[in-house]
Amino acid sequence: MVTLGASMTLLAGCNDKADEPEPADENELITTVNLKFTESGTTTTQTFSYRDTDGDGGQAPTKFDKITLKANKTYDLAVELLDESKTPVDDVSKEVAEKGIEHLFVYTLTPNTLATYTYGDKDAKNLPIGLKGTLKTNAAGTGKLKVQLRHQPNAKDGTPTPGSDDVNVDFDLTVQ
Amino acid sequence: MNTNNHIRFVYLHTLLLVCILCPTFAQESCDCFIKGVVLDKESRQPIPGAAVIIKELQKGAVTDVDGHYRIDQLCQGQYTLISRILGYREISQSVTLVHTSEQNVLLTEDDIHLKDVNVTAQRAQALSSQTVSQLEGKTLDQTRGQSLGDALRTITGVTTLQTGSSIAKPVIHGMHSNRVLILNNGIRQEGQQWGSEHAPEIDPFVANRMTVIKGAAGVRFGSDAIGGVILVEPAPLPTTKTVHGELNLVGFTNGRQGVASLQTEGGFGKGFGWRVQGTIKRGGNVRTPNYYLDNTGISEQNFSAAMGYRAARFRSEIYYSRFNSQIGIFSGSHIGSLTDLQAVLENGEPFVKSGFSYTIGRPYQQISHDLLKWKTDWKPVAGGDLSLTLARQFDDRMEYDLHRPKNDSLAALNRPELRFRLTTYTGDLVFEHKPIADKLTGSLGISGFYQYNIMNGRPLIPNFRTYNAGIFWIEKLKQNRWEYEAGLRYDYRHMQVFRYENKVLQKPLYVFQNFSGTLGATFSVSDQWSMRFNAGTSWRAPNVSELFSDGVHHGAAAYELGDSNLRPEVAYNLNLSTNYSGKRVQTEVGFFYNTIQNYIYLKPQAEPILTIRGAFPSFKYTQTDALYAGMDAGIQAELFPKLSGTSKLSLLYVQDTRLNQPIVMTPPNRWENGLRYDFGKVGKWRDAYAGVGNLWVARQNRVPAGPRSANSDFLPPPPAYSLWNLTAGFAVPVAKNHQIDVGLTVNNLFNTVYRDYLNRFRYYADDPGRNVSVRLKWKF
Repeated sequence: MVTLGASMTLLAGCNDKADEPEPADENELITTVNLKFTESGTTTTQTFSYRDTDGDGGQAPTKFDKITLKANKTYDLAVELLDESKTPVDDVSKEVAEKGIEHLFVYTLTPNTLATYTYGDKDAKNLPIGLKGTLKTNAAGTGKLKVQLRHQPNAKDGTPTPGSDDVNVDFDLTVQ
Repeated sequence: MNTNNHIRFVYLHTLLLVCILCPTFAQESCDCFIKGVVLDKESRQPIPGAAVIIKELQKGAVTDVDGHYRIDQLCQGQYTLISRILGYREISQSVTLVHTSEQNVLLTEDDIHLKDVNVTAQRAQALSSQTVSQLEGKTLDQTRGQSLGDALRTITGVTTLQTGSSIAKPVIHGMHSNRVLILNNGIRQEGQQWGSEHAPEIDPFVANRMTVIKGAAGVRFGSDAIGGVILVEPAPLPTTKTVHGELNLVGFTNGRQGVASLQTEGGFGKGFGWRVQGTIKRGGNVRTPNYYLDNTGISEQNFSAAMGYRAARFRSEIYYSRFNSQIGIFSGSHIGSLTDLQAVLENGEPFVKSGFSYTIGRPYQQISHDLLKWKTDWKPVAGGDLSLTLARQFDDRMEYDLHRPKNDSLAALNRPELRFRLTTYTGDLVFEHKPIADKLTGSLGISGFYQYNIMNGRPLIPNFRTYNAGIFWIEKLKQNRWEYEAGLRYDYRHMQVFRYENKVLQKPLYVFQNFSGTLGATFSVSDQWSMRFNAGTSWRAPNVSELFSDGVHHGAAAYELGDSNLRPEVAYNLNLSTNYSGKRVQTEVGFFYNTIQNYIYLKPQAEPILTIRGAFPSFKYTQTDALYAGMDAGIQAELFPKLSGTSKLSLLYVQDTRLNQPIVMTPPNRWENGLRYDFGKVGKWRDAYAGVGNLWVARQNRVPAGPRSANSDFLPPPPAYSLWNLTAGFAVPVAKNHQIDVGLTVNNLFNTVYRDYLNRFRYYADDPGRNVSVRLKWKF
C-alpha cells in the first residue's frame, strides 16, 4: 500500500506538459474562397466570398455571399484561396498554381442555361486548371454556381472524376 | 507435446492409476481413480493448490497442503491429464486407465512415474461464474500471422470491426472500442481505443494463451470492461538453464504477406529465467476477387524481452515490449466531401485501381507502443499472496492524410496531420488471503492509474490528464457442487482537459465516481455438466473524443460533435451458461442480457454542417439506454472415429430502449460449421488432419428506420454471405523430441465477392478474396 501510494504520489508530481497544449496547427486549411468577377472591357471588380476562419465546425462561416451578375455579359473570373487561420495569411491559390498538374477547378451551373464557364489557363501538361477563366452570362434568372477544387495527384486527366474535393461550395447566383 | 519435456518444473511425481472394481467381464468400469502428488521439480517440495484436470471430462482436483490430489469415479479409457498452477508451465499428459485385476495396487500405492510435466500459471483472473473462452495450443497456432482481432474471431461471440483488411478491432457480443478492455500481459492496454480505425497495438505472438471474458467484468478490472475483457498472456518464464525457443514462419498469398517470429528462452539457474521474442511482418496490396485495393500494405516490427526471478515465496519479473507498425489506408476511402462519397457509392467500386505493390504511401498510420512492466509476488509465511504490478506504457500514433500540404516547405516536413501521444502509468496491489476453512478464497486490491495525452496537428481530441483510483474485494465460496462469488469495487476518476476555445485556454475538470458489483454461482450438475450464472455491473467514463470531438471524420464523410456534458455509462449484465463435456460430445450454450444506461452513441442531427468542402451530415454524441441481448452456442462432436464436427451459432439483438429502434453497426447473426478428419500417423507425418468449414453471416436487418443519412449510415446493410475455408496440418519429426508443425489454410476458398456490414470500407470496396496461408512452426 505504502509503495503504491508513494509511487502514485511520485507520478502525480511528473511534469507532463499536458496542460500546455499547442494551439491547433493544421498542416493545411483553406478558410476562404474569393471569386473575383471583372466585367469585360471595364476595371470594375466585384468579389464574392465564402469565409470560415476557424475551419470546419466551431463557428459557422462568417461570410457566404450571394453572387449577383448582369445578364448577357462576359466576366473574367479569378479565384483566390486563402488560409486566414495562419499569420501571415497563406495564399493557397499560389500553391495550387504551382501544383497545377494535381488540381482542377470545376464550375457547375444550375440550371446550366444560366451562364457558361470557359477555362482560361493551362497546366504543364496542357490541361485546364481554372484559377482564371471567363463566365458568360445568359438571360436573367436565379440558380447556383458550384465551385469545386478537385485534388488529383498523379491522376489528373481533365475530367472531374479522379481525386477528392478540397473545396466544394455552392454559391447562390442571380443574373439580372 | 514432446518438446515440452524439456521444460520441467513440476513432476507429477506419483501417479497411480487404479480401478477398484474390475470384474473380469466388465466392458467398462467407472470406479477408477487417479491420484498422485505434484512436486516442484527443483526443490522437490510439494505444491499445494495445483489444478489437475482431465481434459476430456473437464473434471479435476486441486492438490492439498501436501501436494496430493485424487480424481474419483472415472471410467476406463484414454485421457489427457492437465496440471497447472500459478507460476509453472502447464503440463499435458496422456493417461490410459486400463483394466487391471490387481486390486491391491490401491493399497501399495505403486509409484508410476509418468513423463515429466510442464505446468503453467493459471491465475484465476476471471470469475469462474463468467462465460470465458480461450484460444491456446493448436487452435492458437492456426491463427498465427493474423492480427489480434482476426485471431480472436475464431471464438464464438467474438467478431471484428474492420477498417479495410489491415485494421481489425475485436467485438465481444456486439461491443467494441472503449467498451472492451484488453489486458496485455496483465496490464490494461491504453492506446487510443476510442477510434474505430485504431487496432490494438499488440503482437499476438507474445501470447501463448488468449482469454476472452464475455460480459461485464468491472469489479476485477475497473472501468471500460462493459462488453468484455481480453487477456493476452505469455507463458511463464522458464528457470532451467537449457535454451529453448520457437520459430514461426507464415506466408499469405493475398497481400503476399510474410510473417516471421522467433522466441528464445532459458535460465541462469537459481531461479533466474529470461525470454526474448521478436516478430517481423510485411505485406502488400490486398486483392478482392476482382481488383487490388490500392495502398493496403502493412509493415510491422515487434520486440519483447522478459527477465524474472523465482523462489519458493518470492517472484519478480520485468517485461518490456515494443510494437511498431505502419499501416497503409486504402486510398479509395479518402473522401473530401459528401459529393465524393455519393460518386463512389454510385460507381459501386473504387475509382482508384492499382496493381500489386508493397509500397505504403499516403494515407497511412504510423504507430508505436512501448510497455514496461514490473511485477512482484510475495507469499508470506502466514499465508496468502501479495502482488504488486507497476507499468508504464507510451502510445505514439501518427496519422498521415492522403494529400501532402500544397505548400512545398510544409510538405517537405512530412508531418503527420494528426499525432496523439498517450502516456499511462498503472499500479495494482492485490492481496489474496489464504483459504478460510478450505472453502472461502478471495482477494482484495487497489489499483491506480495516471495518464496524459499530448495532441498535435488538426484539432480532434484535446490534451488531458487523468488520475484514477479503484479498490475492490472479491470472495469465492465453495460448497459441495456449488461455488458462489461476490465482489464489489469503487472507482474514482479525475480528468482535466486542456484545450483552446476561441484561442483561450480552457481547463474543464471532470470527476466521476462509481460502484460496481458482481454476484455469481456455478453449479456442477455432474462431472460433465456444469451451469454458471453471473450478474455484474460495470461502468465507463465518457472518453475525451465523446466529450470534445469537433470535426469531419474523413472516410466516414460525417461531421462529429462531442458533448461536454456526457455522464458515465453504467452496464448491468446477466449471463447464464451451461457446459457439457462428454467423451464424444462437448457443448456450450450461453445467454446474455446487458442493459447499458446512458449509452453513448452518435445521433444524426437534422441540420447538416457547412464546411468549405460542402455540407456534411452532422452527428452528435448523445446518451440513451441500450439493450444488448443474445445467445452463443457451440457444439463439437465425434461423429465417427476420427471424424468430428463443430457448429457455432451467435445471435445478437440490440435495441435503443428509449427510442425503441435498433442501433447501427451491430454485428449480424452468424453460423459457423466445420468437419475435421484426423488421419493420425501417415508415413513420417504425425497428427495429420484436414478440415472444411463454412461461415454464414446473415444480413443485418435490424437498422434504424428512416432516410439513410438520418440513421447514421449511407448504404443499407450488405446482403448475407457464405464463405468456405479449408484447413490441413501435420507434424514432421526432425530430431529426437523435435518436430516441425506444418499448417495450411485457405480462406474464402471460392473467391466469393462479399461485403461485411462491420467493415467501415464497405462503402468503397469489396472484402478480400481467396487467401492461402502456410504456417511452419519449429520448437527447439
